[in-house]
Amino acid sequence: MSFSRRDFLKSSAAASAAAAMGMVVPTGLQAAAKEAESGWRWDKAACRFCGTGCGIMMATKNGKIVAVKGDPAAPVNRGLNCIKGYFNAKIMYGADRLTQPLLRVNAKGEFDKHGNFAPVSWKRAYDEMEKHIRIALKASGPEGVGVFASGQHTIMEGYAAQKMMKAGFRSNAIDPNARHCMASAVVGFYQTFGIDEPSGCYDDIELTDTVVSWGSNMAEMHPILWSRVTDRKLTHPDRVKIVSIQTYTHRTSDLADIEIIFTPNTDLALWNYVAREIVYNHPEAIDWDFVKKHIIFATGPVNIGYGLRRAGEKSITPVRTDGSAGKYSAKEMIAINKEMNKKVSTTEGPALEPYGYKAGDTMHNTAGTLDHWEISFEEYKRSLAPYTLDYVAKIAKGNPDESIDAFKKKLQALAALYIEKDRKVVSFWTMGMNQHTRGSWDNTLAYNVHFLLNKQAKPGSGAFSLTGQPSACGTAREVGVFTHRLPADLMVANPAHRKIAEKKWMIPEDTLNGVGVQDIMRIHRDIEDGLIKFAWVNVCNPYQDTASATHWIKAAREMDNFIVTSDGYPGISAKVSDLILPAAMIYEKWGAYGNAERRTQHWRQQVLPVGDAMSDTWQWVELSKRFTVKDLWGAYAPSGPRKTALPDVIAKAKAMGYSENTTMYEILFANKIAKSYKLDQKDPIQKGYDNSEGYGDKRNVVGTDGKVFGGYGFFIQKYLFEEYASFGRGHGHDLAPFDVYHKVRGLKWPVVDGKETPWRFNVKYDPYAAKAAKGTNNEFAFYGMIAKELPHGDLSGIKDKTKKALTNKAKIFARPYMDPPEMPDAEYDTWLCTGRVLEHWHSGTMTMRVPELYRAVPEALCYMHPKDAKDKGLTQGGLCWIESRRGKVKARVETRGRNRPSRGLVFVPWFDERVFINKVTLDQACPMSKQVDHKKCAVKIYKA
Amino acid sequence: MKTISKMTISLAATVLLIVGCSSSSMKPSNETVLTPTISEESLGYRDSSLYSEDNTSLPAPKYGDAAAGTSQKIPRAFQDAPPMIPHDTEGMFPIEQGNNQCLSCHMPDVAPSVGATPIPASHFMDMRPHDKIVNGTFEKAVDNMKNEVSIKKMSDIYQGRFNCSQCHAPQSDAKLVTESKFKAEYLSPDGASKSHWSDVMRDHLDTVGKDSGVTQKDIENDNSLAGKPLQGH
Repeated sequence: MSFSRRDFLKSSAAASAAAAMGMVVPTGLQAAAKEAESGWRWDKAACRFCGTGCGIMMATKNGKIVAVKGDPAAPVNRGLNCIKGYFNAKIMYGADRLTQPLLRVNAKGEFDKHGNFAPVSWKRAYDEMEKHIRIALKASGPEGVGVFASGQHTIMEGYAAQKMMKAGFRSNAIDPNARHCMASAVVGFYQTFGIDEPSGCYDDIELTDTVVSWGSNMAEMHPILWSRVTDRKLTHPDRVKIVSIQTYTHRTSDLADIEIIFTPNTDLALWNYVAREIVYNHPEAIDWDFVKKHIIFATGPVNIGYGLRRAGEKSITPVRTDGSAGKYSAKEMIAINKEMNKKVSTTEGPALEPYGYKAGDTMHNTAGTLDHWEISFEEYKRSLAPYTLDYVAKIAKGNPDESIDAFKKKLQALAALYIEKDRKVVSFWTMGMNQHTRGSWDNTLAYNVHFLLNKQAKPGSGAFSLTGQPSACGTAREVGVFTHRLPADLMVANPAHRKIAEKKWMIPEDTLNGVGVQDIMRIHRDIEDGLIKFAWVNVCNPYQDTASATHWIKAAREMDNFIVTSDGYPGISAKVSDLILPAAMIYEKWGAYGNAERRTQHWRQQVLPVGDAMSDTWQWVELSKRFTVKDLWGAYAPSGPRKTALPDVIAKAKAMGYSENTTMYEILFANKIAKSYKLDQKDPIQKGYDNSEGYGDKRNVVGTDGKVFGGYGFFIQKYLFEEYASFGRGHGHDLAPFDVYHKVRGLKWPVVDGKETPWRFNVKYDPYAAKAAKGTNNEFAFYGMIAKELPHGDLSGIKDKTKKALTNKAKIFARPYMDPPEMPDAEYDTWLCTGRVLEHWHSGTMTMRVPELYRAVPEALCYMHPKDAKDKGLTQGGLCWIESRRGKVKARVETRGRNRPSRGLVFVPWFDERVFINKVTLDQACPMSKQVDHKKCAVKIYKA
Repeated sequence: MKTISKMTISLAATVLLIVGCSSSSMKPSNETVLTPTISEESLGYRDSSLYSEDNTSLPAPKYGDAAAGTSQKIPRAFQDAPPMIPHDTEGMFPIEQGNNQCLSCHMPDVAPSVGATPIPASHFMDMRPHDKIVNGTFEKAVDNMKNEVSIKKMSDIYQGRFNCSQCHAPQSDAKLVTESKFKAEYLSPDGASKSHWSDVMRDHLDTVGKDSGVTQKDIENDNSLAGKPLQGH
């Protein structure tokens, strides 16, 4: 582009003029001149990777990225990035980028599920997609069309996907990989605060005295936040304490003052222990004024299962005498059967006694429910009674080589840090507490402790759920790209909310489908059951990242369905698909992400995509051209989870001025309002920057209609962002205008009158809290609107169905310790924990193609204790099999690496397609959040 | 439905080039037949079948075993990229409170004498504006709406950079699963071995040029027809 030409001339001229006059050119100017001479253009952007949401400065030259450096103006990371952050420069340049659509065909060139791939045009690709979507709609209705969405979708892509799926196809079978990442955190927020996302912000780190990391390896997974923690700790070594509470030792423990190694799942007991210490032994530490004004106590049923398949589902029918059922072996059914009934163990018995169960009882499970009811403080206190130091130490001590007394001392020290008056405390967690069969409970337990002590939503204090993905908050949660959600905390199940969305989207009333229960795990299961016949993978890798992977791959490859994957590189999901679409990667498109501290950050398109790759936004908008009012808005009979018919809304559409043949493109994406967002090279935001969707580009990509794509002719990304933002503005989710984000390094919503909000619910910092608390002297207002009317009862159930309003109040929940459905036994004697390593992102499709990152960690290792290795006849660096009741994989043994488990547990990261660990893991989930627990199952390890 | 004859697809020659070929060679030509030449196994770097683990092969990487100070330095990946670790790190990790062995050789006053890459000036700068609680209220030290920066030189290393392995990693000899088409460019002749970032860290931060400041008009957003707050919820 010609953009840098002018700057180039200016700075080169200044430098040469200065040189000619013999002046000393300031270093900064000198360097700028050098860069101009070499044709570099610098711009700000957001990092592609984790939920920290760092800013970067990115240089391009001749349409290629040439460098990345730190951005001292970025508030999150102030000039520092981690190794992945710097290597954003290289992620788009792996030699096997997908550059053309690929379709499985036979020798005659016809689509053939068993064929090899052949390159096809975008038109042929879309002809096939259209055909198979029509087949799916006919066979199963809207519920038969599914989308695997993403916490790495840009905000605009996620919004476009959600709009076409929910308004166009009337399908709620769209759910992100973020379900696996933070769904339990969301349930925690909804149940506790009535509104999603954290009260605090990263500034807490510089203001706190105590950082407690609960099951989170922040040093590797949120490296820049850890760098901020490290700076805080090492510059205030005596005052600041770090506690690392983990199931195995890793880099986060290396800097800690106290490390607590616990048995998987017993973090539930640890939280309750701290709460018991407060309530029973240090009642003076409770801030009763705060609690009485702002808190109520609550509980819910405990017999909610484990998010596994339930009896009667097609793929576990019929049940055979050998114990197998449907497509599942007898071994696999051992865990699945606990979904219906389980025997209360001696470990969990004491914790369940206040709820009416004791060890040896049979618990009959019903499907997970979000229902809960108010209880008295006395009932809450009764729920804590079992968590004595003796009981908790006995069930929670995770290192068999540690003495029980040493472990008890650490628990006491932990409680003392929380309780200490005037000591600020931040509790951080991510996947450890979220990927948990009681993850929603675990999240609420964190807030309990902070609330009792009035150490929440204040500078330097708070329980703070960190997010894994770069836009799990910004896209998945805030845009509401979940099966049950609409933008800004609106819900598809709520008729009033559906009306709001229908009005905004200019679609007929009753178009939206009110049944949204096809979460990402359910989408896999619905494919296996034959309900979903068409599925599209966007910006994720669900065939590598989901537990019990063998089942989903088999369903994709062997059943009558059509699976499409859009990606930058051919990962496992692409391999098992019927059609692969080449996707533009992050800096090849305009975009925005939202990080874990509510910070929304935008970037401009830095370079053109490779080959014929196009963005996901473009791919969705192109699909919308293929379907008209009459194709999609007729009546649908009940299907799958939806027990009532969807009405015909074609007549209403006509009354709105649409015809039967109006396309979804015209209604949802290229309407009159959309076209008011002009492409304009005089606009300082757009000036000099490509917009492949807006203008097309010099590659002259032949589009889905067989003609060269010449652009939509309007600023579609700005339109999508602004329309989406309208849902939250004025309702506690206020986003700043599009242009503002292009001028600043992100802002924390709600952004009211140009000001961001650092601490929500705190009257001093949050204008919504100030508004809600008006006329009182209250310092807080927990103004979230969800589940703010409750019936009353005790630990065993509801006693008074009359609902009482809880305006501006938050909740403390009684939630017990319970076992996960599969634990080590005589045959499968070892815990398996999975996760990430610093150098690789998720399934490794990008980072395994960056030479420096690949060479740093070229394979996923099986980290284990040296004594376990010796006992099993394994050697450091040798190969072992890791086998569960579901499958086995081979990996190299590592006994002296960065991850150092105690005896009885191994850690295997999941980034490596050659060490396909999700063939081994179990698709158990928190039954309330539906988030799968990839952190624990039972395996045996032996020499390979 | 569409028939084969209507398809405009490039030939097998293009098929062979599909992986990473340049865009110009990929324009569909006329009236050709699809050739299903790309197998599932050939996609991605897992070269064995997805359906069995028996024949999965794993790399057997070796990391540099040259002692610190004796190894060949690895060129920086691009201008001011963090350098990778060329030497044996046995016994050097973990980095703990009071135990950072990297610093003992790489501090600039020691590095030249032991043949280590000296820690650059950027690591001796605190770029975090230290916000404060004043009279019980949080106050920002800089204005983020103006993209203000705060860069203070320090005599010791900025403690946020204490975890060296966050950016610098040992490199194994593992054969790449795919080549990288990234081309490094250096702005100075010694760019592959030395960081110059501290000289230019304040440059180019106004990314919208002279219009980088947020205006009242930007905040009012009056021209955004789709962006008005919704009524009714």
